[in-house]
Amino acid sequence: MTEFAGWLAATQASVWIASHDWVIPTIQSIHIVAISVALVSAFMIGFRVLGWTGSDQTPVETMDRFWPWLAASLVVLLATGALMVVGEPARELLAFSFWLKMGLVVIATGLTWWVGKSQIKALTFVTLLVWVGIIFLGRLIAYDHIWGSWSMSPKA
Amino acid sequence: MNIDATLASLEGLRLAEYIRQSLYVFPFLESLHVLGLTMVFGSIAVLDLRLLGIASVRRPVAGVAIDVEKWAWWAFALTAVTGALMFVTNAAVYYHNVYFRLKMAMLLAAGLNVAFFELTSRRSLQQWNRDAKAPMAGRAAATVSLLLWIAIIFMGRWIGFTTTRVTGSKPDPGVNIEDLLPK
Repeated sequence: MTEFAGWLAATQASVWIASHDWVIPTIQSIHIVAISVALVSAFMIGFRVLGWTGSDQTPVETMDRFWPWLAASLVVLLATGALMVVGEPARELLAFSFWLKMGLVVIATGLTWWVGKSQIKALTFVTLLVWVGIIFLGRLIAYDHIWGSWSMSPKA
Repeated sequence: MNIDATLASLEGLRLAEYIRQSLYVFPFLESLHVLGLTMVFGSIAVLDLRLLGIASVRRPVAGVAIDVEKWAWWAFALTAVTGALMFVTNAAVYYHNVYFRLKMAMLLAAGLNVAFFELTSRRSLQQWNRDAKAPMAGRAAATVSLLLWIAIIFMGRWIGFTTTRVTGSKPDPGVNIEDLLPK
């Protein structure tokens, strides 16, 4: 993985991103805007199951309203996330938080679909917690030393 | 008491020193700040898109507003408290940062925009509650709201890239995750 990150960092695209100071903050900002859409869409689906919001809407109406927005925002998140990996390969690919986050994104997306369809309350709490965990891991990519030897990042 | 002395006394708080010394508290505050702000913007956007006639169009506006307001205020409180805690760790630097100032001005503008909506379209809500979109003033407020909140997110990220986080002078031995696991 270190070799792959090194190769990626030497590509023209990576060098371009790294040599323009405004690119990474811009991508990160778009990423956060998309997280807002994804998180609230997933929360609205989950909160409807728990009876916290949208009680004037059926579960099907709630899924019809929010699932497409969740799916679309995930596409934006994947695209902006990929650009961040290209721009800073070592920071992302060698981070334990990054890989844990990627795994949890797949699980959270599947769980959200499942609870939206099945309306299982207990599972909804788990789903919401996984989404919150993803937010934390996203920020913790910048602090991967907290994971000790689980992190592949070079030790400071 | 002048502003520099006020900022210095904020930085001198034991709470500020505690946050600076810890390896974990600042990242934890940042994560809660992101959680709060994404919930604020995401939920407000649900209402704004309803007002603009883009999403939830068949649902009465009042129902959408009740859902959104319930969560947006709590999320805003979480974001404000975590933001204030990060501010005191390095108050003078944030205070003089141009992006921080722009962000605060935009937050004020977003607040005034809410007041504008409350004093205009919101007053006649019962007349257009089931319409596909809000009257002109409501759509204007929704557009301004979306643009301001997106700009606020950009400013927040730029603050992070134009300031250096202050950490404690003594390295924090902290807790290594592996120390918690059986050997």
